[in-house]
Amino acid sequence: MTDVIVVEGLTKRYGHVSVLRGVNLRVVAGEAYGLLGPNGAGKSTLIHLLLGFLHPDSGRIRVLGSANLEAQRRLIGYVPERQRYHSYYTPREYLTFLGRFDEMPASQLRQRIDELLELTGLATVADRHLRTFSKGMLQRFGIAQALLTDPDLLLIDEPTSGLDLDGQQELLTLLNGVRQRGHTVLLCTHRLAEVEYLCDRAGILTDGKIALELNVAEVRQSAGSIIVQTGPLDLPLRQRLEMIGREVQCTEQEVLISPHTPELQAKVLQTLIEANVSIHALEPQMSRLAQIYLRTVRGEPVDNLLVSNATPLRTILRETLPPPPTDDIDPMLKRLLQRSSTNPPSQRDGKQ
Amino acid sequence: MMRSIEQAVRLAGFTLLEYLRSGRVLLEVAAAVACYVVLLRPTGAPMSAGYLFTVLGIFSPAMAIVTTSYMISLGDRPQGYIVLAHNVSRGAYLIGLFLAAVTVVSAIYGTLCLMAALLNRATDLDLAGWFLATLPLILNVGLIAALTILLSPLVLGTGWRLFVLALVAIALSSNVIGGPVINQLTEINPLLVDVLRAVQTILSGPLVPVFYGYQLSISRAFTQMAAWSNLLAQCSLLLAFLGLARYAFNQRDLLFSAS
Repeated sequence: MTDVIVVEGLTKRYGHVSVLRGVNLRVVAGEAYGLLGPNGAGKSTLIHLLLGFLHPDSGRIRVLGSANLEAQRRLIGYVPERQRYHSYYTPREYLTFLGRFDEMPASQLRQRIDELLELTGLATVADRHLRTFSKGMLQRFGIAQALLTDPDLLLIDEPTSGLDLDGQQELLTLLNGVRQRGHTVLLCTHRLAEVEYLCDRAGILTDGKIALELNVAEVRQSAGSIIVQTGPLDLPLRQRLEMIGREVQCTEQEVLISPHTPELQAKVLQTLIEANVSIHALEPQMSRLAQIYLRTVRGEPVDNLLVSNATPLRTILRETLPPPPTDDIDPMLKRLLQRSSTNPPSQRDGKQ
Repeated sequence: MMRSIEQAVRLAGFTLLEYLRSGRVLLEVAAAVACYVVLLRPTGAPMSAGYLFTVLGIFSPAMAIVTTSYMISLGDRPQGYIVLAHNVSRGAYLIGLFLAAVTVVSAIYGTLCLMAALLNRATDLDLAGWFLATLPLILNVGLIAALTILLSPLVLGTGWRLFVLALVAIALSSNVIGGPVINQLTEINPLLVDVLRAVQTILSGPLVPVFYGYQLSISRAFTQMAAWSNLLAQCSLLLAFLGLARYAFNQRDLLFSAS
C-alpha cells in the first residue's frame, strides 16, 4: 500500500520544552488514522509539522511521497482546531479566493464551491458574512475549505472542539460522509468516540511519542460491556453464570458481560432472578479504547486490554483513578470517572 | 517566480478587501483629511511644489509605518494558516501584505496630490514634475514598509528584532556619535568612540538613498546621474529588505498570534 504520511524519529522543541521526542508514524492511502492524546501532547504541533508550518529539530517527514511539504499543500486539506476565518467574507467569496490561491480553473471552482456548500449544508447561508456564523457552521465551513481541491490527504485537528452535543453529532456525520469518499485522513483529537466512529487505526501520543498503535475495528468489537451489581454470589451460581458464555465473568458481587448483547444480558438476569439474588444496578462500561487510552497516557501496561478477556473497567478504576478530569476531556469519559470517583468501591459495597 | 508574484498580488487583493470592509480604511482617510486641512489647504498664499513634497515626503512614510503595522496584524492571525494551507508560499504571503500596505499609502498619497491639484495647486508643478517627485517618494514609502515588515514579530524573533533596532538606532545617531556631545564625555574610552563612529558611518550608508530620495522628491533635480543612481540604490535597498524579511520568515516556525 502507498504511504501517504511517513514520519521517522521526529523531534520538536519550543525553547526548553520538548514537545515531540522521536515520533514515528506511517499512514497509508485510504486509511483514517486517529491520533489520540491529552491536551498539550503535541497533536497540533505534529499537524503543523506535516504542513511545513513548523520546522522539525530532527527526523524525517514525507507527505505523499515528497519531503517538500510546501509543494504538497495543494494535495492536502487542513481543518484547524481554532475556527478562525477572515470574517468579512461570505463562504462563497472566501472559497473563491482560496480556490484562486490553489489556481483552480474558474468554471471548475464555481461548480466545486456549489457542491461543497451543498455537502456541508451551508448553501442557504452562502452569501452571509462568516462573522455571523455559529461555531457549528464555522466547523462545517472548515470542512468545506479543506475539501476545496479534493485533496488526497485530510488533516483534521480537534474537529468537534467547543461544539454542543448536537453540533458534534452533526459534524461527525458529515466527516463520516467525507471519510466514505476515500480520502486519507489523519484525525487529531482527545475525544475517543470520534476515533471509534471514524478511524481504522489509532495511535496514542503521549510523552512526545506514539506510545501505542491499535486497530480501532478490533477495539470497537470488544467495546460495549456491562457490569451487573448483585448481592453475594456463591461459587456454584458463579460457575452457572459463566457457563452462559465466555463473555460472562463473575466476582463475588458483580457480573461482567463483555462484549454485551441484549440476549446475554437477559440470560444473566434470568439466572440471577431464578437464584433469588438481589440486583442492585446495571452499569455500562467505559469502552475498551478508553481503558487503553487512560492506561497508555499514564504509562501503565495495556497488554491485558489488547486481548479479549481483558480486565474489567471497575478494576482499572479502583486501581488507578486519576484526579477529577479537566473540562476538555471526553464527556462520556468524564461522566464515568466522576461517577466512580464520587462513589468509591467501599461506599458501593456498603449499600449492598 | 511569476507564480509567487501572482500569488502575492492575489493575497494583496484579498487583504485589501478585508481591510476595506472592516472599515479600518477610515483611519487612513481621516489622517489624510487632517493632513490636508492642517498643512495643504488654501491659505491665500500660493503653495510651492517644494512645500507640497516636503509635507508628503514626511506624511507618506509615517503613514507607511502605521498602515504596514496594521497589515502585518491582519497577517499575524490564525487565519493565516488557512491561506498558507491553500498553496500560498510564505514569500508570497509576506510580499502580499507588503503590497497591500504600499497600495493603501500610495492611494492616500495620490488622493492628497489630487486634492492639492484641484483645490490648492502648486504653482511650479506640472505632470512630469509630479511624476519625478513621486518616484523617490513612493520608493521611500516602500522602503519604510519593507523595514516595518522586517522588524515585525511575524518575521523576526525578539532577539533579532532588538539587534536590528539597535543597528537602526546607531545608524540614526550621527548627531550623538559623530557630534561634539560624545567628545565631552571624558569617561568614555576614545577607542570605543572611534569604533562607534566607524560603525555609525557604515550603518548610516543605507540611509543615504532614503534621505537623498527625500531631497530629490522636493527638488526634482534629475539632471545629474546621481539622481538616477539614487533611484537604483533605493530599489536595491528595498529588494534587500524584502529579501531579508522573506529569508527570515522562511526560516521561522510559523506561530501566529492567537488574537
